[in-house]
Amino acid sequence: MPERGLERAVEVVLGIGLLASGLLLTGGLALGRFAPQRWGIIALMATPAMRLVVLTVGLLRERDWIFAAVSLWILGVLGSSLWVALRIAAGR
Amino acid sequence: MALLVLTGAATGLVGSLLGLGGGVFLVPLLTLALHVPIRAAIAASLISVIATASASAAVNLNRGLVNMRLGLVLEVATSVGGLAGGLTAARLTQHQLFVAFGLTLGVMGVVMAARSGRRNVISDLAVDPGRLGGRLQEGASTYVYRVRRLPFGLFASLIAGAVSGLLGVGGGIVKVPVLNAFCGIPIRAAAATSTFMIGVTAAASAFIYFSRGDVALPLTTAVAIGALPASLLGASLSDRLRARSLKVMMAVVLLAVGARMALEGM
Repeated sequence: MPERGLERAVEVVLGIGLLASGLLLTGGLALGRFAPQRWGIIALMATPAMRLVVLTVGLLRERDWIFAAVSLWILGVLGSSLWVALRIAAGR
Repeated sequence: MALLVLTGAATGLVGSLLGLGGGVFLVPLLTLALHVPIRAAIAASLISVIATASASAAVNLNRGLVNMRLGLVLEVATSVGGLAGGLTAARLTQHQLFVAFGLTLGVMGVVMAARSGRRNVISDLAVDPGRLGGRLQEGASTYVYRVRRLPFGLFASLIAGAVSGLLGVGGGIVKVPVLNAFCGIPIRAAAATSTFMIGVTAAASAFIYFSRGDVALPLTTAVAIGALPASLLGASLSDRLRARSLKVMMAVVLLAVGARMALEGM
């Protein structure tokens, strides 16, 4: 995938995440319901993670191994943070 | 509720203009002015930082300002810093942390102000930007920039990661001035690359705060709803400001935030 195409793909993922979370947060606040607000915040937190997944896949497809490895490392750190969070949530 | 939306909008606007997440303004505003408990304020700030950073990054990607590869390399240091921050924090008191952070920001503010007239761009397009450098379009002109002193940029990213989870900020206030003043990155590219990175930095901490039940509703929702459109506006407006104006604004913000933090720690 050429560099500009990869930038565009990341931009689209960010846009989708922001639109989804914006709709859920606004709808939840307007209706006074907590469930959509919670899902809106989850969608917002997932947005940078999803852009990292798209970027990693793009770099792998470009066979840019060094930067793909760097991207995978960051994805690993984010994944470990999510794993810790899920353990904390399970223990509550 | 309207006040919370406005607070989120104001910090999102300034944050996206300067390549910050806005958390460095939001946490003190929520705790000192609106008397929100510190953990809830940090959690709301992290969510707002993700909104601001993601919105700004989307706009800046469209403009070709984000240097994704440089962002990735610096993110490695930031992620390590996030882990190191937790260990270091236990050895320092909050007052020592605030004084050290405040003084660092103050020095950076003076450096930014002193260098506000200097530019990091090369007009000769034949110059190779290297693996991590890039090209920058400003109006009808295209410039090249090269990355200098990468280890210093990595160190700044490490510090930014360390303070991120501790203070509920994205770390842009450390990264943008260092990338611009010491690593040769033009201010617009430094700010755009910073917003690209800090969404991930803030998300790593936000997962933990969310799982602990520290994300207070509807407080966080209101702040994020304000931050989202204001950040899109701020990122769009930053294109109309001159690079020098952005640097002077950044210097003022660094000096003001640095002084406030140092005073709080004394």
